[in-house]
Amino acid sequence: MASLLPVATTVFAMVLSIQPVHIPGYTAVTPAFTLMAVYHWTIYRPDLLPAFAVFIIGTLQDLLIGGPPGVTALLLLLAYATILIHRRHFANRSFPFVWAGFTLLSCVAMLFLWALHSLLAAAILDCRGAVFRGVLTVAAFPVASFLLGRTQRALMGAG
Amino acid sequence: MLRLSPARRATLQRITFPLLVLASAMMIALGKSDQIGIEALRNRVMDAAAPTLEMVSRPAVLLDLAISRARDLIAVYQENAELAAENERLLVWQQAALRLASENAELRNLLKLAPEPAISYLTARIIASSGSVYVRNVIINAGRENGVVRGQAAITGDGLIGRVTEVGDRTARILLITDLNSRVPVIIEGSRRRAVLSGDNSDRPSLRNTEAGTAIRIGDRISTSGEGGIFPAGLPVGIVTAFEGELARVEPHAALSLVDYLRLVDYGRSDLLPGSLSLAQCGKRPDQSLGQPARR
Repeated sequence: MASLLPVATTVFAMVLSIQPVHIPGYTAVTPAFTLMAVYHWTIYRPDLLPAFAVFIIGTLQDLLIGGPPGVTALLLLLAYATILIHRRHFANRSFPFVWAGFTLLSCVAMLFLWALHSLLAAAILDCRGAVFRGVLTVAAFPVASFLLGRTQRALMGAG
Repeated sequence: MLRLSPARRATLQRITFPLLVLASAMMIALGKSDQIGIEALRNRVMDAAAPTLEMVSRPAVLLDLAISRARDLIAVYQENAELAAENERLLVWQQAALRLASENAELRNLLKLAPEPAISYLTARIIASSGSVYVRNVIINAGRENGVVRGQAAITGDGLIGRVTEVGDRTARILLITDLNSRVPVIIEGSRRRAVLSGDNSDRPSLRNTEAGTAIRIGDRISTSGEGGIFPAGLPVGIVTAFEGELARVEPHAALSLVDYLRLVDYGRSDLLPGSLSLAQCGKRPDQSLGQPARR
């Protein structure tokens, strides 16, 4: 049962990211919770978060958002691959280091999304939304990491 | 889960991963052209996710309700006085509106104009928002089974919010007026000139395609023109608040980020009695459900 935890929490993160929150302007700058979950689990338990699950969750998020399908799936898969390759640098390090790694990933992810959406819309879209979203995502990461770490420890031992 | 040796697992991952990336890229390309297949899939996913979304978003609604109830309790006397005064003002307006409606009906009768269709409303709750800076839409918990039809306008008490674009069995998707793809034919109330309200993913859509020589001023009220039959005419949309060079920006009346419940406007069959005061049906009765029979 505990082996489903990474997939379950990532799905929950995805559902969380489409929740309507009554703060003016929140929709445009919703933190990328799914990215946080994928980052965390790929570093600590990549064996329990297969690429196929990442693809399905990304596709579901795309279909629920109503934007071009495949965008989030592609983003999460590329992030997954990138984290896997550099995993050993982050696996046994202290939190500030992990956070720094996530900051870098977020920046690249926001840039990638902006470029892809601009390409699909055939126009240069406003980048301010992407910047704010990146800032909020990075700021919200410690809380997400803490919660995910706690659940991981509680349900799977020191895995 | 198949029990594979680590080596086999690694090889499998190495093969499947590029395939998945390719599949994602293909979906992006296909999404641009094959609209129908993707739409059906999207509706299925929306319907399937609806129970989860409703459940997860409900605590937020209850929390909102609790907070506003607490706030109301604190300010109850003052608010009561303010509401009583507003009620008096609105009663005066209602009288004026009823008078105008009956005068309108008489004039239409004189001109032998076709009677206006009866309007009815369907209330629904927003259970998910797009959560993206590039897409502005919401999912509501009403679908085909509740009488939602593609193209219906979505409003709150304040003004127009958007329009139904996709309909599932139990859910539907509303494209907001701030979305990049939203185009609403509108009319500028002062000069009665037509324009198109175009969203660009910002909070303030702009007025485009104005007729030559249209003078737009800050403070001009914008409402739907009904052109093209996409939106019903006369729905309040917003106010011109700023100019970006030549481009006029409109602040929507409805606070899009604070909306919980919205109403879908449905035009039923034509009302046979012109004097049946369809304007009275436009009163703010939030739980009016679909199926209001036309007066015979």
